[in-house]
Amino acid sequence: MAVFPVSHSVNSTMVASLLSVLISLFPAAPLHGQETQVVEQQSATEAPLFFESRVRGILKEHCWHCHGEEADLRGNLDTRLVRQMLTGGDSGAAIEPGNHEESLLYQRMQDGEMPPGDSHLSPAELQAVADWINAGAKTQTTEPESAEPGLLISDADRLHWSFRPIQRPPVPETSDSHQQRGPVDAFIARRLDDAGLSFSPRADRTTLLRRVWLDLAGLPPSPEEIDRFLSDESPEAWNTVIDDLLKSPAYGERWARHWLDIVGYADSDGYTQKDPERPWSWKYRDYIIRSLNADKPLDQFITEQLAGDELLPQPLQNLTTEQADQLIATGFLRMTPDGTGDGAADQPLARNDAISASLRTASESLLGLTVGCAQCHEHRYDPISQEDYYRLRAIMEPAWNTEAWRAPNARLISMWSAETKATADSVKKELAVVTEQRNSELDDLVEQTFERELKKLPEQRHEAAREARRTPAKERTEPQLALIREFPFLNVSRGSVYLYLPDRLRGFNKKWDDLTAEVKAKLPADDYVMCLTEIPGKVPPTHLFARGDHLQPRQQIPPGVPTVLNPDGFEIAPDNPDLPTSGRRLAWAKRLTGGSHPLLARVLVNRIWMHHFGQGLVRTPSDFGLQGDRPSHPELLDWLASELMENGWSLKHIHRLILKSAVWQQQSIRTAEQEQTDPENRLLARMNIRRLEAEVVRDAVLSLSGSLNREMYGKPIPVAPDDVGQIVLGKDNRDSAGRPKGNIGSLGESENRRSIYVQVRRSMPLGVLEPFDLPRMEPSCQRRDSSTTAPQSLLMLNHPFISQQAALLAERLKAHSTEQSEQMQLGWKLVFGRQMTAAEQESANEFLNSPESDESAMTLWCHALLCSSEFLYVL
Amino acid sequence: MNHYVRRHMLAQSCFGFSGLAAALSAQQTVAAPPRPELIPTVWDMKPKRPAGEPQARAMISLFMQGGPSHIDLFDPKPELTRLHMQTYGGKIKYDNAGEASSKLFGTPWRFRRYGECGMDLSEPASALGTVADEICMMRSMHTGVNNHGESIKAMNTGRQLPGRPSLGAWLTFGLGSYNPRLPGFMVLIDPSGLPVLGVENWQNGWLPAVYQGTVVRSQEPRILNLDPPPALVGKPQKRLLGYLRELNQDLQQRFPAESDLNARMQSYELAEGMQHAAREALNISEETQATQKRYGLEDDATREYGTRCLIARRLVERGVRFVQLHTGNQQWDHHGGIVKSLPNICRRTIPTAAALVNDLRERGLLDSTIVHWGGEMGRLPVIQNEKNIGRDHNTYGFSQWVAGGGFRGGCIHGATDEIGHHAVEDIVNHYDWHATLLYLLGLAEEQITFTRPGGNSSLIDGQPGKVVSAVLQRPPAIETAES
Repeated sequence: MAVFPVSHSVNSTMVASLLSVLISLFPAAPLHGQETQVVEQQSATEAPLFFESRVRGILKEHCWHCHGEEADLRGNLDTRLVRQMLTGGDSGAAIEPGNHEESLLYQRMQDGEMPPGDSHLSPAELQAVADWINAGAKTQTTEPESAEPGLLISDADRLHWSFRPIQRPPVPETSDSHQQRGPVDAFIARRLDDAGLSFSPRADRTTLLRRVWLDLAGLPPSPEEIDRFLSDESPEAWNTVIDDLLKSPAYGERWARHWLDIVGYADSDGYTQKDPERPWSWKYRDYIIRSLNADKPLDQFITEQLAGDELLPQPLQNLTTEQADQLIATGFLRMTPDGTGDGAADQPLARNDAISASLRTASESLLGLTVGCAQCHEHRYDPISQEDYYRLRAIMEPAWNTEAWRAPNARLISMWSAETKATADSVKKELAVVTEQRNSELDDLVEQTFERELKKLPEQRHEAAREARRTPAKERTEPQLALIREFPFLNVSRGSVYLYLPDRLRGFNKKWDDLTAEVKAKLPADDYVMCLTEIPGKVPPTHLFARGDHLQPRQQIPPGVPTVLNPDGFEIAPDNPDLPTSGRRLAWAKRLTGGSHPLLARVLVNRIWMHHFGQGLVRTPSDFGLQGDRPSHPELLDWLASELMENGWSLKHIHRLILKSAVWQQQSIRTAEQEQTDPENRLLARMNIRRLEAEVVRDAVLSLSGSLNREMYGKPIPVAPDDVGQIVLGKDNRDSAGRPKGNIGSLGESENRRSIYVQVRRSMPLGVLEPFDLPRMEPSCQRRDSSTTAPQSLLMLNHPFISQQAALLAERLKAHSTEQSEQMQLGWKLVFGRQMTAAEQESANEFLNSPESDESAMTLWCHALLCSSEFLYVL
Repeated sequence: MNHYVRRHMLAQSCFGFSGLAAALSAQQTVAAPPRPELIPTVWDMKPKRPAGEPQARAMISLFMQGGPSHIDLFDPKPELTRLHMQTYGGKIKYDNAGEASSKLFGTPWRFRRYGECGMDLSEPASALGTVADEICMMRSMHTGVNNHGESIKAMNTGRQLPGRPSLGAWLTFGLGSYNPRLPGFMVLIDPSGLPVLGVENWQNGWLPAVYQGTVVRSQEPRILNLDPPPALVGKPQKRLLGYLRELNQDLQQRFPAESDLNARMQSYELAEGMQHAAREALNISEETQATQKRYGLEDDATREYGTRCLIARRLVERGVRFVQLHTGNQQWDHHGGIVKSLPNICRRTIPTAAALVNDLRERGLLDSTIVHWGGEMGRLPVIQNEKNIGRDHNTYGFSQWVAGGGFRGGCIHGATDEIGHHAVEDIVNHYDWHATLLYLLGLAEEQITFTRPGGNSSLIDGQPGKVVSAVLQRPPAIETAES
């Protein structure tokens, strides 16, 4: 809770700076309806000033809590509606339209009397209030007659750009001066025109090929692919490259990573330090890869993930592959940390945290809203009430069900057929028999040992000792206790007998362990699905929690969608009689994907754009609320969103639109002119240079050296700490005291699989990935950071992985040709995706053939290439 | 709870890779191009100003894993000697019932008094006599859980729970470190292997990875990732870096205004500088022969441990905040054969530790450096295994010694009962020990409190830790429950 105020102050600072950037960027930008804030600030004098433009937000932040939302209205003044401010409270009318100095509201604010406490309005905010009053204190929408206590959410709030319906804008007509190729370019070109900028030239073909490979496949193009593309002079050459890549399985592996970030994918539960493994998470990862490769329509993709189980007949048995996929998809809601499998956690709290992490991820990924704030109180900035939050929670409640909680293991659903289950039951019975025999033999050993130890005592005390041992500890007499204290070795038990007969017990244990293992081997292999399901008929109530505290439940809340997104009075039935389950999640999924939701499609296309360009049209991909960024190209965003929906929600369609555009194909060289006008490249007069993500660095290195293992799917490659605590690929071989038992064995070829198949233990980030801003899934990652740190350079210089791969790359080059110049040229083409220039050849020659060179020179040269910026960046 | 903030804090915590480099981390971020960063919180190793007035600025912990026998080294028990080989009628908690015996065993070694203070030390510990007036012997340590793992956790993470940050992680989280080119928390491990709990001994737990201990190994490369692989050491890497500079400059020329590319070049320069700093710090050949001799580098028995003690001094001298030396697996766990094996491990770790204290004092570093020598337990006064006499675990009363950093020299604190089983006077629980360390380092509890799901945590974590004023030169004015 302590961080709460920090976030808000930081967020508002950021927005302020964004605004100032925007203002400076678009000094003469035309007025577009959706850019309310920006527009009003820059043109306060010309544009009509409405309550909704700015002042409402200011009052909401500073005044509404006491003067509006609380049932006990201070001074009887409600500041939520203009009509009520005109009526006024105990001290009379709060505003005097046309005269800010006579307005009580303004006076109190200017005196610093209001708001009470340390926070005051900024001069700019005060000015905005004054300007609005002076302009006649008008509203843009018709206000309700009155408002109940609580957060007032009205049509005024629905003016915010992202809450307005998506309307397909016409593609702008622009001058011919651009090398535009389609609608995407037209939208971009218009803004460039307005700013007096133009597209950068198209990047050269090798740059484009490397760029598109890393973008779609997360791998560098092979020399053969480079040659093929360079020699294909048909106008279709570029389209062919895109089509081939979209068909390649590597595409799904690359783009699945983006989605897995958003949902907080991990192979462990997190939350507690124990961080127990999630042995079945990987099926969800595979489902995502398969779905993306198949270009599963995103509406279906989202529906399955929210409510796949509700699409299935009950009971969830004997499922077809397709049905199993729908069940696996609901892992979406289970990816975030869940500490309820670890008894050490405070269970009620851990349950509440598991639900709120999941809800947060769902709302950020699908709505682009940070509803989490409203868990504890009305959202201070966005029109999300606390009730709205619990309405959303109620959608999930029957599945989570805190009244009959299921720990992670209890939520697994077995994919065994009835026959397999019968086999398993009979083997388990056999196992029970073995265990019983083992214990009985062990008891005999314990007795023998005791009798042997007894011989250390004088004969006449034997019977007393036997008697003392037989007596339960609590009932022992003082002489019996004294006897045991005097001869502590008489305390032999099942648990301690190994201390007396170490060799014998080793033999005993081996015999029985082997036998147990033999029987266990007959057990059919486990096959579970990690998912979120409802138990039909169980529909627990949802309560609003006062201050978000699960120990303070208040009124019951029915399922529903946030008020601001519900101008049409949409309702979710608490228990749909046509379905075995409550149907709440399915209803929500249908609402989201029905084609008229203002957020889902915008949020999705913005993320797609972000992954292609390095930043979104909205730079806060998970915050489309009032504190979030405003879209740089609102019409383009809406056009893409409607394009997505009108084309069967095809992700690949959007990829094609973007990758075929001139804007994506521009070169990425900054010019002085752009730096002057648009240093952050929001207008996209050039492409952005981007550093490779952690996984791409590792995958690309493996690919260049020729060692990449392209095996797809399945259980993750395990990670474990090595003998100094670095996290490496390998089986955890620590003993019960935490000491590594010898070296971590090699995992063979599977060590060279793509990073998406590396186990994500939340507590154990892989050493070769972590420095390149590998996100910690606590609970998820909405946008990757891209830092430049010395540990990254140390990794590239000194980590054995890199030097080994450099050596393998050198071997690959030597195997290719005996001619050094050919080796060099291949190396260059592999690592940088282009031909060497003469100067580069000369300098490489010099390096490889200097008097200091020895047989390892080629390895050293390859190592330098891997460390270089041209490898680490997409140009 | 604003989750957005949390995500960013945690995202920011992933600057380093798990072993090393995390520790060097965020302050090494080279000026990146401006990005719309939502939350600028960065977990780093930059020095932090403690809330209180610090008396110590660094700490060297010589951790004696396994449980040195206090009654054979630091805590003479004439009554135990008198009752030698007699049956003890009282209650004793054994770890190993199979070899348990109720026969008392007096120490086979003679104790003598050393220094002006008259510090009692047995023959195997006698090398400590040269610093008797510098050290403070704490004879009433107590964790109360008779198991190595749990008791190590208590002493080295604050509580007997799994997964907590280690002491070095807590302290560097609160204080940062002075030298931006060296990790703030360094761990020198024994060539024979890891102690019980393995790498957990220096884990960051749920603190950001930047606070994990960086291991200095006994073989090359001494520090993984900070040291080049053997084939690259020296000339080859120099050539590599030279050529790399050329490549990167060429690209920078093609993209002249791209500041990230410039930052990338700088980050290699910085990495190179850090490598040099680490090698320089580990290079004991710079030390005079007299110094090397003092640390026992000329003697086979002491060379290895003495070298590590000497490196510890060099690290602290260069601004490293917390250095911990570990002995190998259970080297002090004398369940049997104690008469023979105890002197061996003493010979390695006691004269070398004494040399460290003396050396620090002569260099004027002792006042500001806490030196700690001790393990997670002591041993029982009764025999374990009559055929090959040893002693079983005892966490109810044991000894450790400290020197420097504001501790009172020549001080003996607390006492165990007459046979040395239970601490009975001025008991120092692990949390009292930690409260005392925090006081000396000037840290307030809230400075090392970390917010995480399920509540806040700290080193003391709400346990009733009290500063042990009697062992301090300048105790707190008013004794309070944990500063």
